[in-house]
Amino acid sequence: MTYYSGKDGFISYNGATVAKVSNWSLSTTVETLDTTNLSLNDRTFVPGLRASTGSATIFYYDEAAKPLLERIVKTTATSEDDILTIKLGWGAKGIQSSCIITSAELNCAVGEIMQATIQFQFTGVLSNVAL
Amino acid sequence: MSTSGPSFPDLVPTARSMSPGDFASKVFRSQSGIEARVQYGNKAFNKTLDLEYNNITEANAAAIFDHYLACNGTLYYFLLPQKPKSGNETFHTNDQSNSTSNRYGSVSFGLSYRYAEPPQFNSVKPGRMSVTIKLIGVLDS
Repeated sequence: MTYYSGKDGFISYNGATVAKVSNWSLSTTVETLDTTNLSLNDRTFVPGLRASTGSATIFYYDEAAKPLLERIVKTTATSEDDILTIKLGWGAKGIQSSCIITSAELNCAVGEIMQATIQFQFTGVLSNVAL
Repeated sequence: MSTSGPSFPDLVPTARSMSPGDFASKVFRSQSGIEARVQYGNKAFNKTLDLEYNNITEANAAAIFDHYLACNGTLYYFLLPQKPKSGNETFHTNDQSNSTSNRYGSVSFGLSYRYAEPPQFNSVKPGRMSVTIKLIGVLDS
């Protein structure tokens, strides 16, 4: 039995590990489709479409967050070329899939280390899942 | 007597609404505003029954599609089996009799159901579809 903690976590994009990650999170949801018919007294459902989103906070150490930020914070329009493969990992485990950076936030405050917060939307089926 | 198509697929809908239609009548209104109504028939007609089948399997949606084609679209009349009328057992007794307590039915009121318009098929996700159907109960010739 093994406990995992923050020191085991990492993020990699297109195979390269992102340095100085403070935290990440993943959320997967499945819609439900209502199939209740008029002969029933209790609602019934079947699984609908699934979606996964994630977020991460990265300390702005050197240019650790740059490859992710520059996907949407740039002078040109975003395109399908900005879809990247992100892996959220812990130890030998992890979840990997293509995703789109949907939000990027840079925070710079007196007395605090500058950090970037990104949010991303996975697109398509999760290509690698090891829980 | 118009041609009859096959019976409608025996599927319980997810939503249903019905309007019982009205009797043939004519209103005569005088200049003073007094009106007189003359009834021309003893049966209500143009009864409408709207059925919704949400998130059903593609096989069931295909059965409805095939039934519509087998009825030559809005042309042929057909019978509704029990399940499309089920769910309100006091309002609709749901037996095989021609009792007027079968309020969702057509035969007991001297009517025949046919498609009022082509059914609407919506794709929800792989394997699941939704279908909206509008039926009209008319006096068969």
